[in-house]
Amino acid sequence: MRTLKSIILSTSLLTVSLLAVTACKNSEFLEVTPRSQGDSQIALTTAEGVDAAVNGIYDRLQNVVLYGRDMLAVSEALSDNAQFTNKSGRLANENRNIQNNTFGTATAAGATWQSAYFAINQANLILDNIGGVAFADTAQRNRLQGQAYFLRALLYHDLSRIYAYDPGVAVATQDRGGVPLLLVGVADQSKITLPARPAVADVYKQIYADLQSSIASFSRTNANAPAYGNRQAAQALFSRVALYNKDYATAVKYATDAIAGTIKLSPNASYVGGWRAPQNPESLFEIQYIVAENIGVNTSLQTTYTTLVRTGDRTATGGFGDLVPTTAFINDLEAEKSATGTVLDIRRQLYELGTAGRGAAFIECTKFLGRNGTINLDNIPVIRVSELYLNRAEANYNLGNTTEALADLNVIRQRCGLPASTVTGAPLLAEIMRQERLEFGFEGHRWFDLKRTGQNVVKAAAQGGGLVYTDNRILAPIPVNELSTNKSIQQNFGY
Amino acid sequence: MRKLLLGSWLLILLFCLPALAQDVAVSGRVTSSDDGSALPGVSVQVKGTTRGATTDANGNYRVSASANSRLVFSFIGFSSQEVAIGNRSTVNITLQADATNLGEVVVTGYGGTVNRREFTGASSKVSGAAVSNLPVGSFDKALAGRAAGVQVTSANGVPGGAIQIRIRGVGSISAGSDPLYVVDGVQLNTSNNSSFTSSNPLSFLNPSDIESIEILKDAAAASIYGSQAANGVVLVTTKRGKAGKTQITFNYFKGIADPIKQLDVLNTQEWIQLRTENLVNAGTAADVARSSVLSTLRLPTSLTDADIAALPTYDWQKAAFRQGQTDNYEIGMNGGNEKTRFYVSGSYYTQSANVINVNFKRGTLNSTLTHQINSKLSIDQTLKLSTITSNGQFGGPNGGSFLGAAAFSSPLILPSVAIYNADGSYNGTPALGGIPGILNQNIIQVSELNTIRADINQFVGSLALNYKVTDNLTIRPFVSLDYRSVRGRNFSDPRTADGINVRGRVQDQFNENKNFLTNVTANYNKEIGKSDFGLLLGAEYRSDINENLLTNITNVPTPDFKYASAAALPVSIGGTWTGYRKGSVFGNLKYNFNKKYDLSLIGRLDGSSRFGANNRFGFFPSISGAWLISEESFLKGGRYVSDLKLRASFGTTGNDQLGSLFNAANFPGLGLVNPGFDYNGAAGFAPSQLANPDLKWETNQTANIGLDFGFFGNRITGSVDVFQRTSKDLLLPFNLPFTSGYSSISRNAGEVQNRGLEVELNTVNVRAGQFQWKSSFNITTIQNKVTKLYPGIVPLNNPDSTILLTYTDFYGVGRNAILGRPLQPQYTTDYAGVNPATGRAMFYDYAGNITYRPLIPRDQKYFGTELPKFYGGFNNTIVYGGLSLDFLIQFDYGRRSFNTQTSFLAENAGRNFNALQSTYDRRWQKAGDITDVPRAYNANVEPNSVSGLGGTRTLEDASYLRLKQITLNYDVPAAISSRIKASKARIYIQAANLITVTKWTSYDPEFLNFGSGNSGLVPNSKTYQAGVNVTF
Repeated sequence: MRTLKSIILSTSLLTVSLLAVTACKNSEFLEVTPRSQGDSQIALTTAEGVDAAVNGIYDRLQNVVLYGRDMLAVSEALSDNAQFTNKSGRLANENRNIQNNTFGTATAAGATWQSAYFAINQANLILDNIGGVAFADTAQRNRLQGQAYFLRALLYHDLSRIYAYDPGVAVATQDRGGVPLLLVGVADQSKITLPARPAVADVYKQIYADLQSSIASFSRTNANAPAYGNRQAAQALFSRVALYNKDYATAVKYATDAIAGTIKLSPNASYVGGWRAPQNPESLFEIQYIVAENIGVNTSLQTTYTTLVRTGDRTATGGFGDLVPTTAFINDLEAEKSATGTVLDIRRQLYELGTAGRGAAFIECTKFLGRNGTINLDNIPVIRVSELYLNRAEANYNLGNTTEALADLNVIRQRCGLPASTVTGAPLLAEIMRQERLEFGFEGHRWFDLKRTGQNVVKAAAQGGGLVYTDNRILAPIPVNELSTNKSIQQNFGY
Repeated sequence: MRKLLLGSWLLILLFCLPALAQDVAVSGRVTSSDDGSALPGVSVQVKGTTRGATTDANGNYRVSASANSRLVFSFIGFSSQEVAIGNRSTVNITLQADATNLGEVVVTGYGGTVNRREFTGASSKVSGAAVSNLPVGSFDKALAGRAAGVQVTSANGVPGGAIQIRIRGVGSISAGSDPLYVVDGVQLNTSNNSSFTSSNPLSFLNPSDIESIEILKDAAAASIYGSQAANGVVLVTTKRGKAGKTQITFNYFKGIADPIKQLDVLNTQEWIQLRTENLVNAGTAADVARSSVLSTLRLPTSLTDADIAALPTYDWQKAAFRQGQTDNYEIGMNGGNEKTRFYVSGSYYTQSANVINVNFKRGTLNSTLTHQINSKLSIDQTLKLSTITSNGQFGGPNGGSFLGAAAFSSPLILPSVAIYNADGSYNGTPALGGIPGILNQNIIQVSELNTIRADINQFVGSLALNYKVTDNLTIRPFVSLDYRSVRGRNFSDPRTADGINVRGRVQDQFNENKNFLTNVTANYNKEIGKSDFGLLLGAEYRSDINENLLTNITNVPTPDFKYASAAALPVSIGGTWTGYRKGSVFGNLKYNFNKKYDLSLIGRLDGSSRFGANNRFGFFPSISGAWLISEESFLKGGRYVSDLKLRASFGTTGNDQLGSLFNAANFPGLGLVNPGFDYNGAAGFAPSQLANPDLKWETNQTANIGLDFGFFGNRITGSVDVFQRTSKDLLLPFNLPFTSGYSSISRNAGEVQNRGLEVELNTVNVRAGQFQWKSSFNITTIQNKVTKLYPGIVPLNNPDSTILLTYTDFYGVGRNAILGRPLQPQYTTDYAGVNPATGRAMFYDYAGNITYRPLIPRDQKYFGTELPKFYGGFNNTIVYGGLSLDFLIQFDYGRRSFNTQTSFLAENAGRNFNALQSTYDRRWQKAGDITDVPRAYNANVEPNSVSGLGGTRTLEDASYLRLKQITLNYDVPAAISSRIKASKARIYIQAANLITVTKWTSYDPEFLNFGSGNSGLVPNSKTYQAGVNVTF
């Protein structure tokens, strides 16, 4: 009896166990679906998904290692505009051009490269999938597609000017090519490729193609400017890219197209005020930040550039003020004075003496001053109308159209309160480059302008003594991760 | 499956029929060999069946058994005894008291226990008494030095803070390495979900409620837990009620905690001189440098040398560190009759750390109930409730942090800076521009005004039904729930640096974890002739769900408003969900022949939603055997050898801790897009993970050979175990080129080997009348080696062609794994000291030549590991009458770690931080100085050089030997205790961490290997306490 019962029970239990296993194997009992993340297979199958994916690219651009800080501040640190103050120690190595200290380094070696390629993959995935997605509104499809092309062009250009020589000024013995071009999105393991470095010309060819596709996709209205990519911004970027490519006619063409757009140059009266508003009125493309996206007290542009919390108030110390203009830069801003000795250039008003809260006070750049209403929260201009005039002036100069060049130069000079110039010849080019430097001080232009024109970087000993153009540090090193995962890729010279 | 398991409850109830036993009644009394007193609560079991009884308060028992059967008497702290009943109806027994020998009972999981004599696996037991009444928030911290093969590291000295336990080394690269914790059958979720404070999911348990802790170490012991067992299993059994007179115990202790150490930093005059020297060496003119330094300190540049000499120095460490307090109140009651037994207890424990505003409060309620419904059916119920409030310092759950942490900042703040103004208000508030220097927050103000807190409520309860179908078969359905909520708060006061510019910030967290478990087990025992069979079969289901809510709101009207409703500007709100399910069947077949030979086979099939679709089920078998040599005729009854047993085992276990501890990522194999990539107020997402449907558990293969011995009447007992633990299919991040859009994909590819030797030795050194001296010593040595990384890793461009993989581990720490080296390696350039001519920092290049600019990776080399070469403990108990002295020495040798706290201080004022006196004294000053500290140089990097703080310069030996604990107990004589009607009274005094021998130059060598460094951690403290324990 007892034995019988235990046999029954054991059998029952065994049955329960077997049923349990079968249940596990056959049902979806062990499938748990994530609820706060999404399945990558279905992410890009709807219009809403594509829209969200495009936002995901802009989010990458907000990153500290791209436009959140490094594209502007590291660029300034490497150049001859800025000196480090050592108030937090940040950007001191970059400012002294110490080997391997460059874009992204402060976050993680190669972080700029990484973020840019992640964003490019996002753009590629969108471009791969958008054709198969049903849109109720074709205009929306075109707008999103145009943005994906625009952002891919912007990112490839930024990668190219950081990691590769610019067209026409390569140091032949040290040239290892352009940046890898990836045009197909990676959605699963099978799509992973190990790209080599193409010629710089091929990279520019691709950027041209993307910008043309972008301009063709965008509508003629600028409804999305400046927060999102738009037609006028794409034309403006084209003028910049063409200038880097020494393709001056194209630079002139697209600068002219963009100047004709709806966003206009800020006049003298509202220029400085434009730098106090959340959005600069002459921004063609400006990365937006909302409260939740505050980069914070360590690495925001405000904390990097200034100790001030607000203009004119030296009693409150906010950020670190790690990177400030060199005396030479300020002197250049102050060079042109009225008869009574007043500084004429209104851009000087964007620099003022910081606090002594973290050590000796310096004259600091105040272009980023919590303009979005909260400390350390600023929208960041990527391309402004002023650049179009200087791009066109430089391109026209190189085409021999000096009259047009001088006219555009004087648009910028007079807007800033300076008298019209009449220089010709080499001094004209020098003055265009000088205005480029002063106009875009602390906006990340100077380093790239020196580099694309093959010039030496002249700096005081305290800022590391500068670099001759042939120095390997003119190019940033390809991240070690790429070298260790991709045998096809070649490191830059000297690293 | 859940339904099926619950259904099995009903199935079993159907079979609840009355007993049909036809046996003789046996009764008797069990006494102690120590003093002849009655032993209540002794388990009396009829051998080969599940039938049994426990002795009552007077040591009496009654059991029915067939006349030819044998009775097994077992009780913790005593050797078990087995006697044949024969034709007796009364069997009286005296049990031999001896804590550690083959007589003890081993807890094996799923309600099972086995006499160590028959146990074929490797395990260590720690008694509840060893971990109670200590100034620790959780029992795991008290395990340090107590058991061979068990390494315990505190993440920090925060009371109730995070602890890391490693059993037999680290066998995982990027997955988790934590053991499975099972408390009274409840498999706990031990992920650390507190966002703002360091917390320990095991601190819900009052250590005084613990009866014993069993640590299962090899595959034979642990593989019944399958894919959760690879890192070992810690089984905690709490106290149970004993039949008889109800005992009421009061326990109280009070203690104080002092900092172990403070760092010797510069005074104002030395700092001014040193900082000036930095600037002068970097090319600034002396007078310019002097006034620059004075203006940095916001002193008038007109100060004369005499003025400077008169400047005061302020001791920030003294203000940040303080004496901590501990108070512990406990009341426990236990009693019952033959049918119903209970143990209930309550406790309230408060501990403040040695750093301001860090403290821990815990209230617990615990009840266990055992009730015999009828001769067939009984229930076991446990319920543990706890509520914890801990206040912490700025920093992550691991504790480390910079500016906002008082332990980090206080030695670094410039010494000329006053802490308070003359009127007692804080100096240098942010409203007044902060204090001078890089650390410009008044850290005392920050610590005192800001609130960083976690309220953790937890209940862990279980219900089991024991159904004795026959004398040979028991079926036990079991359900449990482990629920934990974490209510985190982080209030940045608008008067502090973090709060001033956003007018105060309120961050709230609510995290809920629900961990449901149910299983059914069947136990069948049969004795046939000389053979004993035992079979365990079971099925189990577990579901674990975690939800988190995090809010961040700024702008409060005034500091008086500290809650979210008062804040005007929402910054962010985040909510996440994660979870996994697991279904398993398992079995264990045991065979014993002639009381000498044991064989055990275990198998478990585990399915988990964490595994990829192509590898959902894993099978984890083990085989083990033991030979009780001392039962052989050639040894039996010998004078010298009392016990001798040889064990051998081989088996596999799995590790399912894939993903990340803090994000509880339960979907390591899926292709995912992550939300939160928002832009301009609109939602966005981005790809975050590539799918790997082949992803599976990590596999551990453990071979173990052990010898348990007892000599000279068990005056010397112990175990020696050698093991080889091969961890395969380790989850590795296959690094991908960033151009792919991903940084890595997880694949099962790595292999790590741990080979080790464990020795546990217990001796009764002296036993003379009332005087007794006992020692127990354990030591473990482990060789850890990475034997396989994935193919295709491009060797580093250095002469060693090092194969190195950089990854982020389960705990969020960035690490390297180097093929052929131990895990957690220190891989850096070799610091070569200082050029005596110039004072510049020198390094060795790959060829051993001096260079000022070592190249990475060309000049990098391996310089040891953070894993210890050996570790262990040495405990001594000296008893004289009612007086006993107990002390534990714990040691850990061979760890090398970067000292990230003192590396800032070692900058020698290269930036505006204070500096260590020792690096100041040793710095290079003039040509010809032979020293290891380079000349002071602004920003620490001389032209065409690398930082003078790089390479091995801050790599230190973190070995230590510590007098972990010393306790003096006094048992009040019965003549006195009876005056207050107490049956027992005990007074004790105790000290912890009294003496530490180490070369480590920062606060404490014990907390460094959990995170990525030791900066900002609240250090462990020296504690002293006194207590009283009275039983009525």
